[in-house]
Amino acid sequence: MASVKLTDVKKIYQGNVVAVHDFNLDIKDKEFIVFVGPSGCGKSTTLRMIAGLEEISEGTIEIDGVVVNDLQPKDRYISMVFQNYALYPHLTVFENMAFPLRLLRPRMPNAEIYKRVTQAAEVLGITQYLTRKPKALSGGQRQRVAIGRAMVKDCKVFLMDEPLSNLDAKLRNQMRAEIILLRKKIDTTFIYVTHDQTEAMTLGDRIVIMKDGFIMQVGSPTEVFDHPNNLFVAEFIGAPKMNIVKSQLLKEGDKYYVNPFGSKIEVGGAKGKQLLAKNVETQDILLGFRPEHVRLEQNPSASNFKVTLEVNEMMGSELHLHVVAEDGSKLIVRIPTIQLNDKEREEMVYGKELYLSFEGKVMHFFNPETEISLLSNQESPQKSDLKQDVPEE
Amino acid sequence: MEKEKKVVETNPAQEKTADQIIKENTALRDAEIKELKRKNEAELKQRLASTDSKEERKRIKEQNKVDLYNQISEIKNKYNDLLAHSLPSGANKDKRHMGMKSKRIIGNTTIYIILIIMTFIWLFPFVCILLQSFRVESTHMVGYIIPKQWGFDNYINLFTKKAFNDGGFGRWYFNTLIISIFVALIQTIIVLCMSYTLSRIRFKGRKFLMNFMLILGMFPGMLTMIILYRVLKDMGLTESHAIPGLILVYVASSGMGYYVSKGFFDTLPKSLDEAARVDGANRAQVFFKVILPLSKPIVIYTLLTAFMGPWGDYIFATYVAHHEETGMNVAVGLQNLISSEQSINANYTMFCAGGVLVAIPITILFMILQKYYVEGVTGGAVKG
Ligand SMILES: Nc1ncnc2c1ncn2[C@@H]1O[C@H](COP(=O)(O)OP(=O)(O)O)[C@@H](O)[C@H]1O
Ligand SMILES: [Mg+2]
Repeated sequence: MASVKLTDVKKIYQGNVVAVHDFNLDIKDKEFIVFVGPSGCGKSTTLRMIAGLEEISEGTIEIDGVVVNDLQPKDRYISMVFQNYALYPHLTVFENMAFPLRLLRPRMPNAEIYKRVTQAAEVLGITQYLTRKPKALSGGQRQRVAIGRAMVKDCKVFLMDEPLSNLDAKLRNQMRAEIILLRKKIDTTFIYVTHDQTEAMTLGDRIVIMKDGFIMQVGSPTEVFDHPNNLFVAEFIGAPKMNIVKSQLLKEGDKYYVNPFGSKIEVGGAKGKQLLAKNVETQDILLGFRPEHVRLEQNPSASNFKVTLEVNEMMGSELHLHVVAEDGSKLIVRIPTIQLNDKEREEMVYGKELYLSFEGKVMHFFNPETEISLLSNQESPQKSDLKQDVPEE
Repeated sequence: MEKEKKVVETNPAQEKTADQIIKENTALRDAEIKELKRKNEAELKQRLASTDSKEERKRIKEQNKVDLYNQISEIKNKYNDLLAHSLPSGANKDKRHMGMKSKRIIGNTTIYIILIIMTFIWLFPFVCILLQSFRVESTHMVGYIIPKQWGFDNYINLFTKKAFNDGGFGRWYFNTLIISIFVALIQTIIVLCMSYTLSRIRFKGRKFLMNFMLILGMFPGMLTMIILYRVLKDMGLTESHAIPGLILVYVASSGMGYYVSKGFFDTLPKSLDEAARVDGANRAQVFFKVILPLSKPIVIYTLLTAFMGPWGDYIFATYVAHHEETGMNVAVGLQNLISSEQSINANYTMFCAGGVLVAIPITILFMILQKYYVEGVTGGAVKG
């Protein structure tokens, strides 16, 4: 149980590869933080710096108010679950889980070790495997042992680096649910790394979205979903991903309109008021709207636009329609199956023309140059840095 | 259950000879093909009769040809399969491949003959020494191999002719054992620590150090002999004090033999080290509690090679012992036994007995540990 504070943390690998740029983050006691981002964005590097497995090139990391930069992993009182489990092949499951306890000084009595290991095994449902070697376990069981090994010890911070990514989809869902339960039981500070936005959304109290070594946004799942700071976050969070189209934001009196594909849709509710408060002028924008916020319209009108259906994916409870607008841009639409009657469902085939509109309250506006949201409160300095620092690949 | 059934099925088949089975099979096959052709001809006639146009008839005939061919191939395949299942298992599964089989027999025989000749050539000296060591009648060279009089006299003489303190065989043997054991232990520790460090820790000059040692190792060790002798002499570690001197020299450069074990450590996942460190281990604990237990083959390989180096060393040991018999190792001592015309005549058979005794511990070690030795050499390949 501890807070973790990263101040201007930077990681430069050999050959001047900057893996993490000026990372600033305050993690509160008992918070569940998720680092999420595409592969290679520096999530593992950051986690490993917290664990003490990588040197910190610049900046400081504090655990519980103590700067740990120069402390060995063993002196940081952390537990970690590795992506490839990293179980000790020569030890039984019991001894694997007892390993951290046997290293404690002063020595922990055997009875206590036994109690803790068996308790953890019970929680994780691996009691019957305690005498086996890791080789004789399935992937899911190994993962449980790895988690068990991390949880027997009292630790200040519990770190996990993509613990589920080596499991198949079904097991992954199951283990995700178990981690949520586990979290209630262990009740400590968690830092969890994943590249899967679903995992991030379902597990995290707060999510840190990273790209190319920069933090793109930090916020609760709801915040980053409803108010993405920039285009990257908007597209990364949510599946299927947000539709982004070129458009204009038009200011007419006190009202705002957008005009994708020749339509004219009013910006409604809070968004309009926020734009007005910020006194945003008429300008070119990238307009974002989520697939689930699109409505099918019966007839053409000024407030909707025409698209052609390309692919219809029947997902069960909903349809994912891949459509092409008149200017060739591709969009995805999510329609609950229940909204369509049988006849309409059958008509959803290649080439069908549809009229679409979307909710005015839930659209997003991005500056086409900086890719930052027009409504973003915090300047996203990382983004502008990114433009200067990182050479095009 | 199923297995039993199979046995019952195959047993009668095994009682017939392969020839019989093939004959039966072919007969059945031909009969079926004949029947098919007959039927087909009749059918074709009917179909041809049903049309008048020449074009159509031609088409039907062509079609029929193809169909018939396919059907016959099917039957042939069916019988080939049947044959494959019913023939007794083993090398002579298919008679038609008999030619290949006899070729293989000839090939194997040639290889075995060559191997036997080579084995004989290779074993001959060893057998000779073994036989000589049991020969009681003395003199240096004799015109026969099999001793006329057998006995353990040579072995007994080895230990009794000269006392331990005067530098007899017992002393040499003891010296060598001490040297080898110490070198094996110290060298193994140094080599394993060195290679683990090179495998895991990234420090400045690591690449340079590795290359430097590799290149240094390419120079023959004898180049350093004179200077090493001087150094040891100045330290007073020659002649009767040769043993610690020799240990020092053998052990000194052992860090350079890091490659094989480093290669092995490189195959152990780094995340094991990291997991252990997070679990609360320091570097040394990681090495002893996690890495070493996983490295049994390479530990044994290193021990064995380190033990064998000094066990058979002659050149450097002669220099350091000079003529002092209490400072000799077994190779030098034995050579000393037969260093002059007279002593050859007197001691030759004893010399052979000594050679046999030298070979024994190494042979036993290898027999016990050869499994690990091979695993150690092939390292990562086995680990996977
Ligand atoms: N040991 C290393 N040496 C050099 N570059 C590295 C090293 N480890 C990682 N990197 C680089 O740092 C970046 C971030 O890596 P990582 O933190 O593993 O990404 P993630 O876990 O988000 O997929 C990547 O571009 C990677 O190539
Ligand atoms: Mg990673």
